[in-house]
Amino acid sequence: MPIIETRDLRKVFRAVKRTPGALGALRTLFSREYVDRVAVEDVTMSLEPGELVGYIGPNGAGKSTTIKMLTGILVPTSGRVVVDGLVPYAERKKNARNIGVVFGQRSQLYWDLPLIESFELLRAIYAVPPERYRTNLREFTELLEMGDFLQTPVRQLSLGQRMRGDFAAAMLHDPRIIFLDEPTIGLDVVAKEAIRNFIIRVNAERGTTVILTTHDLADVERICPRIVLIDEGKIIYDGEVERIKSEYGTHRTLVVELCDGERDVHVSGATFESRVGNSVRMQFDRNEISADQLIRRVADSYCINDVTLQEPDLESIIKRIYREGYSDPDGAVPPPAEIAR
Amino acid sequence: MIGPYVEFARKAFAREATYRVEVFTNVGSVLLRVYLFRSLWTALYAQNAAPADIPLHAMITYATIALLMGLILEIDGTRAIRERIREGTIATDLMKPISLPLYFFSDGFGQTVFHALLIVPSVLLALLLVHIDVPSPATLALFALSFALGYLVNFFLNFLMNIVAFWTLETFALQLMVRWASDLLGGQILPLSFFPGVLGTIVGALPFASIYWTPLRIYIGQVAPAEIPGLLAVQMGWLVLFAGVSAVVWRLAERRVVVQGG
Repeated sequence: MPIIETRDLRKVFRAVKRTPGALGALRTLFSREYVDRVAVEDVTMSLEPGELVGYIGPNGAGKSTTIKMLTGILVPTSGRVVVDGLVPYAERKKNARNIGVVFGQRSQLYWDLPLIESFELLRAIYAVPPERYRTNLREFTELLEMGDFLQTPVRQLSLGQRMRGDFAAAMLHDPRIIFLDEPTIGLDVVAKEAIRNFIIRVNAERGTTVILTTHDLADVERICPRIVLIDEGKIIYDGEVERIKSEYGTHRTLVVELCDGERDVHVSGATFESRVGNSVRMQFDRNEISADQLIRRVADSYCINDVTLQEPDLESIIKRIYREGYSDPDGAVPPPAEIAR
Repeated sequence: MIGPYVEFARKAFAREATYRVEVFTNVGSVLLRVYLFRSLWTALYAQNAAPADIPLHAMITYATIALLMGLILEIDGTRAIRERIREGTIATDLMKPISLPLYFFSDGFGQTVFHALLIVPSVLLALLLVHIDVPSPATLALFALSFALGYLVNFFLNFLMNIVAFWTLETFALQLMVRWASDLLGGQILPLSFFPGVLGTIVGALPFASIYWTPLRIYIGQVAPAEIPGLLAVQMGWLVLFAGVSAVVWRLAERRVVVQGG
């Protein structure tokens, strides 16, 4: 049974139409003309318990609108949404007990109080049994290395420490689902890695379902086996990261270091890209020529010191999809829900 | 499920206590104002500006108690609503399994308790500085009850003003107007018997009178004991009305966020 299920979920925002200019501004004070903006259009998806899903899309694509509907603070215009057996907007408070939320941009911790006091407050809010609270707190303190700053007022914490605090805060009541919105934004590499490991660990040990929205695709690559790609309110891809990579990431880069001087390399099957000193970059399509063949061809005409092969990362693939739109190389795009299975 | 709300109040209390310097300057400023009020009213009474039913010692008592009540009543726990709407953090609040009006009430109450404790030194020092009347324990108890009702009326008044932000985002001008109106028409600045004739009757009938005027009248013994139950009933009436309106408006506000997005 899916833990999160949406069917033809749709949200239309209605805004007062603004006429430009001072006179127009005056006019909008009195006239009520509206424009409708479709933020989320017929989103159908389904998540099984324990899944780690990256929910990806450019700014304004409808990600946070979807998340708001899943957390129950926004009513859909039409369509169905069920989260852990509940309709979120109809049972907001009940739904709130099943979910945890982390926003990278805003904290749910008490600014003026020591970190530990925020945790105690959350214990009271969610009525976490004392034994459970102690176990969780001990475990999170260890995993997130929070021991040194539990007694520090939140306003004095570094961003990395605060984020770790926010993660613990979101997990203290053992939610079945956590929504993470840009959780690693602004963090340094070490802090990012600590957060990623924590997510993976929590998912593995507690079976927590994770929905991650982020612009940092390295997060997704590291954490999520599955991504849902949304653009202009519509799901354009829903499936495994590996699959999108193998379909879209057919372009490889071959970097050749020549042993006999600095010159450009031209062979059939690959496109010359750039050269720095005696290091030459070439692009080729894996479907047209194998790396092995290409290297042989280069070696036939040039003296090679070293070769490296670079796979495209998710970021460059997604960038390309934003730019060109997604079309399934195998033909027609099946409905996203179908791909998921 | 009262647990979380008690905790909210305790945290608000602790939070207030973190600003220690403010605490001490506060006591100083209160004493200064108490002294100024005494001088002001003494001078005014010497000029025969007094209403017939309030003698000078009662007036000084009135002004001092009104000032101390103000320290509690000016705390507006619901101001956080306005701030959170503007910052958009109200969305995270709504993702918690709690009642937000109760949350803001407990938070404000925690702050109140802290400031009420803070008043104690001010009160003791004020007693040394100026002579104020201390009524019988029975009257004090009735005053406390009436003050509590006034506190609640004041809470809902603030609450209503702040949730207007769900529609307008900005409520500062409204806030200022209501604040002034309630200080003047509520009797914090002047006893309402200073208002002449019909104006006095109207002002006395407004809900603001429940906040300062009613408890203070009871304190200075300006009303006969037989009238007190009636006054308390009027306060209770305003409280019920304001609470009812607040509940309705809150439901609309909540729906508005949830339908239109935070």
